[in-house]
Amino acid sequence: MILFVVSAGLSFVLGVLRVPNVFHGSLYMIGAFSAFSIATALAAHPGGFWVALLLAPAVAAAVGLIVERLVLSRLYHREHLMLILFTFGVMLILNDLVKLTWGPDYRSIVPPPALQGSFSLRGLPLPRYSVLLLIVGPLVAIAMWLFTHRTRIGKIARAAAVDRETVGILGIDVSRVFAIAFLVGCYLAGLGGALVAPTTSITLGMDHTIIIEAFLIVTIGGLGNMWGALIGALLFGVTQSVGLLIWPQFSIVFPYAATVIVLLLRPTGLLRSVW
Amino acid sequence: MGRVVAALAALVLFPLIAPTFYVYVAALILVTALLAMSLNVVLGYGGIYQFHHGVFYGVGAYAVALAITKGGWSPWIGFIAGPFAAAGAGLLIGWFCVRLTRLYFGMLQISLGSLLWTIVLRWYPVTGGDNGIHDIATPVALRTVGGAYYFILAIVALSVAALYLIVKSPFGTTLQAVRDNPQRCEAVGVDVRRHQLIAVVIAAYFAGVAGVLYVALERSVFSNMLFWVLSLEVFVMCLLGGWYTFAGPIVGAAIMVALRTFAGRYTENWTMVIGVMLILLILFMPEGVLGFALQRLRPAPAADEG
Amino acid sequence: MLRVDGLHKSFDGFRALNGATLRVDAGSVVAVIGPNGAGKTTLFNLITGHLRPDQGSILFEEQEINALAAHEVCRRGIGRTFQIANIFPKLTVFENVQVSVLAQQRKSLDLFHRASALAIDETSAILKDTGLLGRARRIAGALSHGDQRILEIAVALGSRPTLLVLDEPTAGMSPEETAAAMALIVRLSRERGLTILFCEHDMDVVFSVAQSIMVMRQGRTIVQGPPGLVRANREVQEAYLGVNDA
Repeated sequence: MILFVVSAGLSFVLGVLRVPNVFHGSLYMIGAFSAFSIATALAAHPGGFWVALLLAPAVAAAVGLIVERLVLSRLYHREHLMLILFTFGVMLILNDLVKLTWGPDYRSIVPPPALQGSFSLRGLPLPRYSVLLLIVGPLVAIAMWLFTHRTRIGKIARAAAVDRETVGILGIDVSRVFAIAFLVGCYLAGLGGALVAPTTSITLGMDHTIIIEAFLIVTIGGLGNMWGALIGALLFGVTQSVGLLIWPQFSIVFPYAATVIVLLLRPTGLLRSVW
Repeated sequence: MGRVVAALAALVLFPLIAPTFYVYVAALILVTALLAMSLNVVLGYGGIYQFHHGVFYGVGAYAVALAITKGGWSPWIGFIAGPFAAAGAGLLIGWFCVRLTRLYFGMLQISLGSLLWTIVLRWYPVTGGDNGIHDIATPVALRTVGGAYYFILAIVALSVAALYLIVKSPFGTTLQAVRDNPQRCEAVGVDVRRHQLIAVVIAAYFAGVAGVLYVALERSVFSNMLFWVLSLEVFVMCLLGGWYTFAGPIVGAAIMVALRTFAGRYTENWTMVIGVMLILLILFMPEGVLGFALQRLRPAPAADEG
Repeated sequence: MLRVDGLHKSFDGFRALNGATLRVDAGSVVAVIGPNGAGKTTLFNLITGHLRPDQGSILFEEQEINALAAHEVCRRGIGRTFQIANIFPKLTVFENVQVSVLAQQRKSLDLFHRASALAIDETSAILKDTGLLGRARRIAGALSHGDQRILEIAVALGSRPTLLVLDEPTAGMSPEETAAAMALIVRLSRERGLTILFCEHDMDVVFSVAQSIMVMRQGRTIVQGPPGLVRANREVQEAYLGVNDA
């Protein structure tokens, strides 16, 4: 589910702005570290974790927005290869900035008591935190759908994804729409990071691994297609779980192998891509 | 030609005057330069988005490492076998990828390469997983920095010469045409896919050579050789130097390795420096250092000859 | 030499070709005309192997070429130029044509010789024939539009075709360039014994040069025949309301 949230953000940015955002993973990491800081600062207060969950993504989104306004928006017309390299450069910078801000050690936080432990479903333990994720995931999907189909800005974003020039000619401030769309994508990245924070150790290498997984998920789902990102994330998650059961030592090989198989059979992704 | 001879002479004499550490860095630059040059065969000359070139580098290195440590082969034979293993990987991966257009070629390659990375990462008993393999029994003659340096210099010089001939051959000219306009090439009778596949195999072979040389120098292999970040860094080297020029990647590799080694002494955050440099490059000098320099130095195109 | 029968091709439900036929005799100059969207480029793409037909047959020298890939069609002897100047912009004029000649000599995969030493004679001859020899060292992307179209013809000649298919060869050219280009094409046809198949919008060009004209409309062939016959055809007149000189 976390993979979905992150991938959805990446896919959205990819579809609307045509930007393959390599530093999306860095924002995920920033979200996790920010959640750590906020939750620790508010440790005394009961709602601390929930506040962190809301604010940490905002930090990530703010960082993304700064980059976008300052430099990225000037580069939209460049070819994809340049955008990939540019966002890679930003990723390198952000990685070091995180190291400077939070130090090289890894961090961790614990979920609030309400989310610790597990429910018992007919005798099978169901971790409470997983239930949270199972709720949040679809919520995000629905929220995204509502955004792109029911709000004015969302609809413009969808139109711009298909035909940027015409939307511009219609007198709509495309650059503002792009900024907002990018903001949304970054928020999702940060949200993914905040959500994952209690479940794993927060390290400096998080950005490297998550971004490649997100890109692969987005590709197998169909570039720019949010439902594709959902399917891709599910596929990735399920195969990893299966792998853990069958061959724990090689569990991460399974999702990558599945990705390869899908791409060999359907190189453009399972669902239709915007490209 | 004279410049090349002078450069070679300088490189040969270098260890005699420079302290050992600098010789080591120079050797590392040579290895990395070859890796970047091999990528540029498909990237700059072929227009192929080879996003995970590092796979072939890693395969070459691991092949040698495993042949020596697990297979007990003589290192010299291992050195010869490594690039062929890489070329084999190139053939296999390339065969699947050349059927796709640019972006999807890149994505499929990343997925195949990442799959290989996960396997290497987790197959602890064989590949040493996260730690890699160390203290590989390379030939004694190569265990000094000087010895390794001259060996590497010789192989790299030969490889670069070979690459030069390849680029200047009909294959190379046609490859550039494929880069510029694959549709036109088909219309004049060129089998575009076969051409691209052969280019990928050649690039993989020389990446494998670079991998073997790395083992000769460091006597270790690491799983991050197959990780995508390294591949993208090699990409950056080509861009930095200028990917439409022949020697551009060498310049790019030299700058990157030098930056990493020396900036690393002053600050822990040299990655940030590379990031900033990359961004400045994209904004202001997309044809790379060498490309930029050549544009300034070259006179305007000659007038019509009649 | 070339026989096309009952060709059908649809794209996502849109019927681009709906029963096209064409006859091209060896050594002749044949033109295909028709309003925009009539299917001319699609027809050419099918002939040269860039697309596969849904139905129908394409026979070149009595052999069916429907299923061949573009580069194989070229090897059989069909050369092609495209509607938008389609050359290798970063290579020099000389290299542009050389690539084609090398491909024809089956030397594209040759790794062991210096390209600059090969195929010089034939490339130079083609450049001389098309009047481009003086500009051999210029980067192709820097040529004027009209020159690029001529270069395209030169590149197509490199593969030693017996049939040359030209998609709107004079599009975007000034009247002087058009006249020069057409004169070149006719001269090449006579000197090299080339069969020419082209499509055009410029009716003056078509009626002055073509020996046989095929008219298309909405994916179908209306009629094919000598210029006088086509001019008199009622359906053609209807399709081309407003065309002068009919």
